[in-house]
Amino acid sequence: MPACVPTSPECGPTPPRPIEGVFAERTYLWAAVLTAAAIGAMVWAALKPGDGPGSTVAVRTQAALSDAADWFRRGPVDGHPDWEHAARQVHDADPDRGAALMLSYGCGACHAIPGVVGARGSVGPDLAGFAGRAYVAGVLPNEPDGLVRWLMNPPVHSPNTAMPDLGVSETEARDMAAYLYTLRGG
Amino acid sequence: METDNTLPGPESALDIFGSQSALARSGVGADLALDLTVAMTVAFGLIFIGVMALVWFAWRRDQPAGSWWVWSGGILLPLVSIIAVMAGSTAVLVASTRPAPDAIKIDVTGYQFWWDVVYDPNGAAVRDANELVLPAGRPVTLRLRASDVIHSFWIPSIAGKMDMIPGRTNTLTVTARETGRFRGQCAEFCGLSHPRMAFEVVVMEPGAFDAWLAGIEGEARDAARPELLAGRDVFVDYGCPACHEIRGVAEGGRLGPDLTRVGARGSLGAGMWRMNQGNLAGWIADVGDMKPGAKMPSYNHLSGPELRAVSAYLASLK
Repeated sequence: MPACVPTSPECGPTPPRPIEGVFAERTYLWAAVLTAAAIGAMVWAALKPGDGPGSTVAVRTQAALSDAADWFRRGPVDGHPDWEHAARQVHDADPDRGAALMLSYGCGACHAIPGVVGARGSVGPDLAGFAGRAYVAGVLPNEPDGLVRWLMNPPVHSPNTAMPDLGVSETEARDMAAYLYTLRGG
Repeated sequence: METDNTLPGPESALDIFGSQSALARSGVGADLALDLTVAMTVAFGLIFIGVMALVWFAWRRDQPAGSWWVWSGGILLPLVSIIAVMAGSTAVLVASTRPAPDAIKIDVTGYQFWWDVVYDPNGAAVRDANELVLPAGRPVTLRLRASDVIHSFWIPSIAGKMDMIPGRTNTLTVTARETGRFRGQCAEFCGLSHPRMAFEVVVMEPGAFDAWLAGIEGEARDAARPELLAGRDVFVDYGCPACHEIRGVAEGGRLGPDLTRVGARGSLGAGMWRMNQGNLAGWIADVGDMKPGAKMPSYNHLSGPELRAVSAYLASLK
């Protein structure tokens, strides 16, 4: 027997259609949830920049993406930060601030530095595993005092170096040195 | 909008979260665009909820729907709502591109991958690059051109975008509402470094803008120390003036950005890196790494002291 057209009279009254599946049963709820989520996302994103949670999330996301990029380039072990080692080397310094300063001074234009956002330069040496190097720039023994003095004014120690004197203060240099001593392994 | 003033170099939009967001609106065009977006989102959200309610209702019904539903919900409703959206967006487009007769004029030309900026093109014609300074509350007519391929000029926080097409001059009148630093971005794929083609936008009080414009006219700051003089010599000796102009030192190079006040800009490499000597040195030595596809060659044959001197000189040009 050929199937009848549902709207034609010979089919008789259409039986009530059963509601099947979670989505069909809760359609209006899903629609309301999706719409509320979309509007909520817009309101959240429009919160005043810098004050809202968006700033923190954006900064963390950027750092996590940068770390992931480092991981893909170097593998999981190389350049793993060792905060305790840094603390033993440079007392009363702030390695986190050191990493932020290296971003601000543009160190990443010449050096690849694990954990510093966007630092992928290949003009100067890769600083992964810096804590294990014997010499700074081949001229000063790699110990905290020497590294701090180097960062403050490289050309004094190596007249032909391409690394400029960037006007780094001693406090800033100590923070940067503390961060560099977190870079072990590799 | 104050940033940590202990950081080296000038303030930069790179340090301000939300400086490139159409949701953090600070200009007349961005206001209109965001209002339209919110209105459309709410309207279509309501329509979506209504349609879902009807779907639910239809599942529960015994009888199939009559043709009235098909005509009204399937044809009339989309027609009316699409016409309403069309009218709304056309009104916004007209309102946000309306020319203002007393507007200040600024020429902006897109290159792969940077922006040439000329203030007051019919008068003093002061050339700068990769940074746009606007007066708050005064309309500015931007004459947008492209030198090589199609680019698109967009400052999300201030106005809508406008394409820059070779051989054409498109105009866009923008009015910034609040002072501060913002970031613009090329919004049309233009080659390998398209995502690295951005720029700084500084909005000043009108009085400060006039003073600033008068201040950048004229020649570059003198090289005040022996190292800076050596850097200026490196700049000239290595042929940089073939492409770059520094007014008062070497004029006529127009293939690359004007460097007369490069050290005062908020960022380097068309809105990509903080402006300081470290990034300048890395840029000169390895442009290809920092901006793939850029026409400038990497100057890694400079000696160490030459690189230090030229980067110090450029950073001093404020």
